[in-house]
Amino acid sequence: MIRSLADFTRLAREKGPKRLAVLAPEDEEFMRAVKEGWERGYIEPVLIGNAEKMEAVAGRVGFDIGPFEKIPGTEQQAISDLGIRMLFSGELPIASKGQIPTSYIYRSIIREEAKAASGMTVSVVTFWEIPGIDHLVVFTDTGVNIKPDAKAKAEIIKNAVFVYHLMGVSRPKIAVLSGRRELGGRIASYRDYQFLKKAADAGDLGECEIVSATSFTEIFLGSRGRRADLTEASGEGMPHILVVPCLDTGNVICKLDFFLDVTRSSLVATSRGPVCIPARSDFSDNIVQQLAMSVVLADRMEKEVH
Amino acid sequence: MIRTFRDILDAAGRKGAKRIAVPFPVMDDLRTLSRAAAAGLAVPCLVGRPEALRSGIGRTPLASLDHEIVEESDRRAALRRAVALVREGRADILMQGGARHRALLTAVLDPRSGLVKKGRVASYVSLFPLRKREKLILVTDTYLNNHPDLVGKRGILENALQLARLLGLDVPKVAVLAAIEQVNPGIPSTLDAAVLSKMGERGQFGKATVEGPLDIDCALSETAADRKGLKSAVTGDVDIYLVPEIDTGHLLAEALVFFGNMQTVGAVLGTAKPVVLNLPFVSGENRVVEIALACLNCGDGANHG
Repeated sequence: MIRSLADFTRLAREKGPKRLAVLAPEDEEFMRAVKEGWERGYIEPVLIGNAEKMEAVAGRVGFDIGPFEKIPGTEQQAISDLGIRMLFSGELPIASKGQIPTSYIYRSIIREEAKAASGMTVSVVTFWEIPGIDHLVVFTDTGVNIKPDAKAKAEIIKNAVFVYHLMGVSRPKIAVLSGRRELGGRIASYRDYQFLKKAADAGDLGECEIVSATSFTEIFLGSRGRRADLTEASGEGMPHILVVPCLDTGNVICKLDFFLDVTRSSLVATSRGPVCIPARSDFSDNIVQQLAMSVVLADRMEKEVH
Repeated sequence: MIRTFRDILDAAGRKGAKRIAVPFPVMDDLRTLSRAAAAGLAVPCLVGRPEALRSGIGRTPLASLDHEIVEESDRRAALRRAVALVREGRADILMQGGARHRALLTAVLDPRSGLVKKGRVASYVSLFPLRKREKLILVTDTYLNNHPDLVGKRGILENALQLARLLGLDVPKVAVLAAIEQVNPGIPSTLDAAVLSKMGERGQFGKATVEGPLDIDCALSETAADRKGLKSAVTGDVDIYLVPEIDTGHLLAEALVFFGNMQTVGAVLGTAKPVVLNLPFVSGENRVVEIALACLNCGDGANHG
């Protein structure tokens, strides 16, 4: 069972190198991450983008990209489409975004999922490694769906559950988060929880369990019926998957790693393999971690599919 | 300049004790009020069944400190009475006591008998002391408003700005948070943020720097903002984080407490008089700080003046 980012790193060394379509690696942090991913034996890059820019940035980070396959491209949507098509056609098992707006990548993935008739919704899982908690925690959807309704959240849950199954967690626990308080009525995010809890209890969401907590207070303190004693707060009951109410909440909370003592790493699990989507503010060590996760998940998906 | 919870306690202590009306207080309240009274912050005005109150008070140091008992045997009547005491000026601050959240807020926000202030939005702000340097950050709205529209957000921001100035920040720095830092017509929070930011630029919030939309990384980290090519006067030193709606606000406040082990206190703003709520993620110790904050908020020029 994969419990930590270090587990991913260790396994990535074992299972790599895997071919990775790199979409417009025209930024130093990103090229540095590709270089490191290659040196560590995780990946073998296929570089798609403006040849001059890629050469220039590779030169700046001291990376000889001579030996690798390069596919020229200048238009961002075309680069994105090509890389994602290569992933879906099975030419390579992983793709990663470089200097392209994430929305272009999502568009390419949505098109390919539709062509493949996979029925898979596109969503982003953001892992947190939290000191003192013995497993990785995922926030989802932190990237694509702006204001998902309960049905969209059901699909988002299925995607995250799929990832945890690949990680060897057979029945992941899920909290559907909500800003519900003692007042303010049954807000939409709480109604979503009620709908999803029923669906999960009926087995409609596959092998997973939705817990009754919908807030961090309930997760850390148990039921809020009594006056809380904060000294009793404990992350022991922390679910694996935290479904965020909307994109605003997801982004604000999952990127608190800039402030808190947690490590963050995100990816999109498509029906054909992982896609890395480093944020424009991510640094190379964070991107390398995402590459490692993708390599391991790609390896497990290959085994599952074939 | 008030930079820590200690500073709040000290500043409130210098203002002198305020009368606090509390309907049906429970033991936790009596202990908190004892400490507030001992620190010269409060004269509790306890509304409920005198016998039960006396027996509770007898188990705390409050027994030998200045306090008042107002008889009401019914829980709902006690709440109404406590609100009335504050509205009529016989008490300065309302504390939740044994009232339920919903009942309390319904009573407080009643347009006729409550503590509503005309033309103001009632909102809730959570304060967190930073660990690495002496600074308080404000996050709002973390409790009261579900999905405020632009007018609501303007009111919430004005409330927070007033509190920030009371704490001694002459030109508060505000980050209007959203999922991304770009204005995206598909993401409504970014539109509201852009408008608020423009209003700030035009001086509509007085002396303040209002930046939005900002995602949390651009608000927190100069390096992250640099990488995104964003230049903002508030990045890395935000005083007020204005969130788009309650899911984000409430969960963000909880996340800072439980994942960040941060201390917090809160305040109801925009009402005619200060109201102190019981929120599960405020520690017993910090409830006294909430009373002190309410004391600071009393009177002319303060949030409820």
